[in-house]
Amino acid sequence: MSELHIAATERTPEILLSANNGTFSMKGESFPEDVSAFYGQVIVAVDQLALNLTKPLTVDVAMIYINSSSIKAMFRIFEGLEAVRKNGQAVSITWHHQEDDDIMQELGEDFKDRFPDLPIEVNAA
Amino acid sequence: MDISKAIDIRTAMRASGVIMAYNGTVSDELMVSLADILKTRMEAMDDAKRSRVVFSIFMEGMQNLIWHGRTNQNAPGMVCISQQDGEITVVCGNRIQREESLKLNETLEQLQRADKDTIRQLYREGMSKSSEHEGPGAGLGLLEIARRASHPISFAFMDVDEDHVDFFLAARI
Repeated sequence: MSELHIAATERTPEILLSANNGTFSMKGESFPEDVSAFYGQVIVAVDQLALNLTKPLTVDVAMIYINSSSIKAMFRIFEGLEAVRKNGQAVSITWHHQEDDDIMQELGEDFKDRFPDLPIEVNAA
Repeated sequence: MDISKAIDIRTAMRASGVIMAYNGTVSDELMVSLADILKTRMEAMDDAKRSRVVFSIFMEGMQNLIWHGRTNQNAPGMVCISQQDGEITVVCGNRIQREESLKLNETLEQLQRADKDTIRQLYREGMSKSSEHEGPGAGLGLLEIARRASHPISFAFMDVDEDHVDFFLAARI
């Protein structure tokens, strides 16, 4: 079963993924020096969920700052979440942002727009 | 440098309300250091919303400089953040291939004319585009800058030699 525990750094988010618990979360800052090196493992793990997840998936995203190349990686991750949904598991995503953070709020709306079949709730934390 | 030249530079910087200016080789470490300084400066200004916008534009600009500087260490980049009459301007400059400037010019003219809704739509489409051709953000960085700026972006190209031009991009916040 897929499990990921990546601690946050100054420039990469905390990533927690557990197929056993049906949870996935991304929290913090994202401007890694090498986006593919950091997100490659996350994309693989999320893609695997589509094959081996046996329960509903709860997703929490709470980013403070995310650069444009990380947004592209996140798009790939959301494609993986969409695959989980298509394979029959319920997916519920909460996109958290700070109350006055228009940038993160709008980005949450952009993901909603791009993934109309995924239930994404954009929430001021 | 002659001391009077240095004083001229300082006078010009003061007159333009420069908060931070850098010219030279750009690197990932430099971006992180400058980002740290900028964050502190912006926090002192006590406007969280605007700070986020300035930070985001600065980061995309720097990442663009790093991307273009990766093959040519002798082509320095510049970044300048200034504040005048309550408006913050972020300017980034770097040397690019003349060939590349043609397409960039076209893209930027398009972005200059586009309204906010169009830019947002382009941005949404850009989120899913593969990044093989243009670098890490593949155009999304430019859209991020255009989207966050409070006025249409401005830009300039300066001839260097047959194959190169210097490219400058300015965003006002």
